[in-house]
Amino acid sequence: MAYIKNHPILGTMEKKRYVTVTVDGRNIQGIEGEPIAAALLANGIRVFRYTQKFKEPRGLFCGIGQCTDCLMEVDGVPNVKTCVTPLKEGMIIKTQRGFGEELTNGKL
Amino acid sequence: MSRREIVCRCEEVTKEEILWALRAGDASLEAVKKRTRAGMGYCQGRTCKRLIAKILSEYYNLPVDRFLPGSIRYPVGPVTLQIIADLDASGGKDDED
Amino acid sequence: MENYDVIVVGGGPAGLGAAIEAAKFGAKTLLLDENMKPGGQLFKQIHKFFGSKEHYAGIRGYKIGEKLLQEAADLHVTLKLNTRVWGIFPDGVVTAYCEKQSMKFRAEMLILATGASENVLSFPGCSLPGVITAGAAQTMVNLYRVLPGRRFVVVGSGNVGLIVTYQLKQAGADILAVVEALPQVTGYGVHAAKVKRAGVKILLGHTVKEARGKKELEQVVLCKLGKNMELLKESELILEADTVCLAVGLSPRVELAALSGCRLVYSPVLGGMLPWHDENMCTTNPRILVAGDLAGVEEASTALEEGRLAGLAAVRKLGINLKFAAELEREMGQIKARLNKLRQGPYGAKRQLAKKELLSKGPVKEFCL
Repeated sequence: MAYIKNHPILGTMEKKRYVTVTVDGRNIQGIEGEPIAAALLANGIRVFRYTQKFKEPRGLFCGIGQCTDCLMEVDGVPNVKTCVTPLKEGMIIKTQRGFGEELTNGKL
Repeated sequence: MSRREIVCRCEEVTKEEILWALRAGDASLEAVKKRTRAGMGYCQGRTCKRLIAKILSEYYNLPVDRFLPGSIRYPVGPVTLQIIADLDASGGKDDED
Repeated sequence: MENYDVIVVGGGPAGLGAAIEAAKFGAKTLLLDENMKPGGQLFKQIHKFFGSKEHYAGIRGYKIGEKLLQEAADLHVTLKLNTRVWGIFPDGVVTAYCEKQSMKFRAEMLILATGASENVLSFPGCSLPGVITAGAAQTMVNLYRVLPGRRFVVVGSGNVGLIVTYQLKQAGADILAVVEALPQVTGYGVHAAKVKRAGVKILLGHTVKEARGKKELEQVVLCKLGKNMELLKESELILEADTVCLAVGLSPRVELAALSGCRLVYSPVLGGMLPWHDENMCTTNPRILVAGDLAGVEEASTALEEGRLAGLAAVRKLGINLKFAAELEREMGQIKARLNKLRQGPYGAKRQLAKKELLSKGPVKEFCL
């Protein structure tokens, strides 16, 4: 996990609470309460989903919850904006395919 | 091989598709939206509107503000039907009533 | 339904300034912001602001945000965060929601301070992970201490592009180049100098032709631009970048203003379509005022002052606490004087002129500077 622990202006990072979540079954650690996307980037994960039409990879784009590129399935719920949703212990995060597993598998 | 140039990121509409729409006669953001779905996605054109207006401006050789701001309707941003349905309940007792 | 004298939509410097002044003069004030943390763009800014003492010169952006928040809280401004306004209706009703909770308020006067959103570019491969906006980079690095990549190309040499370049360098990133389509740097000299001193190359007269990579960005193809801004194919330059930051301007977020009947005008200097407003920030809707980047893309200092002005103008329209009327007028005059001072210099003067044009031409749609 790569966080900028010592920054010339921001100073030393204060003590944070790290939590463990899974991304496509793999355990990663991130900071509780900070956006899911930040934790993913800190762990070198930049592909968050594959689009419905062209099946192309997408990741972070606008960072403020406006563009919807960063959507992932979180705890079974698709289309979660990871750049503005806070990370919680035990979250089950999945790379979203299209509009989400249920819709894509025809299970509606 | 060159990758696609995606203009509307939400609906995955390429520049090629938009130019095709213009060649077919579309001359406004609304028309392009109805034919290609560009601007109909989750962000409701917030990201792509200006890009499409620029493409329209270059194609028709008209100033870009001829094509802006396009249509703007309620609600601003996606809102669940539940939120709208709950409006009556959310008001509570009106001060004047 | 909760009734307020003044509802401010947007909690950046403009919205905070408006709420503070309105509350100071006795208005029952509500401030709504869609983010979890208010302060708008201020919280992402780690550099020291310059200007005068009233504009918090020498203080870092995020500290200014904290001060304003405290001031608003001390004045008992009701603050609702994570609250998104989705409608403004003719009877003064404002509809919003916070997560699953639907909300409805009524305002006598409304101040819209919804700011501006970042422009983007399209080019082949622009949807690859690794292509992000400058704001996204600032958010990740300055707020969450995470670098969204390692080798960056920043597109745009305006103030945002230059500042984010410098902020990325401070965070340890490798900036391969700053790319600018025009033949000159468009941001302030002081920011450009900082970037150059840090050893970053600024490529003028260039643009991004293509982004390449399998699942993520791996390479950026730059291209020189000809006299008519056409791509000069023979002049391709390939950089091994894994991140592209788009810093290509901002456009006012006019949706709520347009929906509530504020006439829009077009001004390229001020960012595109924006709500027409007079020198007191009043729009064509007598109950709505605007301030900050929504009223024309400028800076945090002008946003703060415009917000203050709008807050006071709203209170004046309400006609409450008339015994303070003289003081209110005096303050409005002082704010206008400070705004004039802020709008000196080549960049400020251009915007000053654009704002004056708005006034003289009136709210006609076919306006262009």
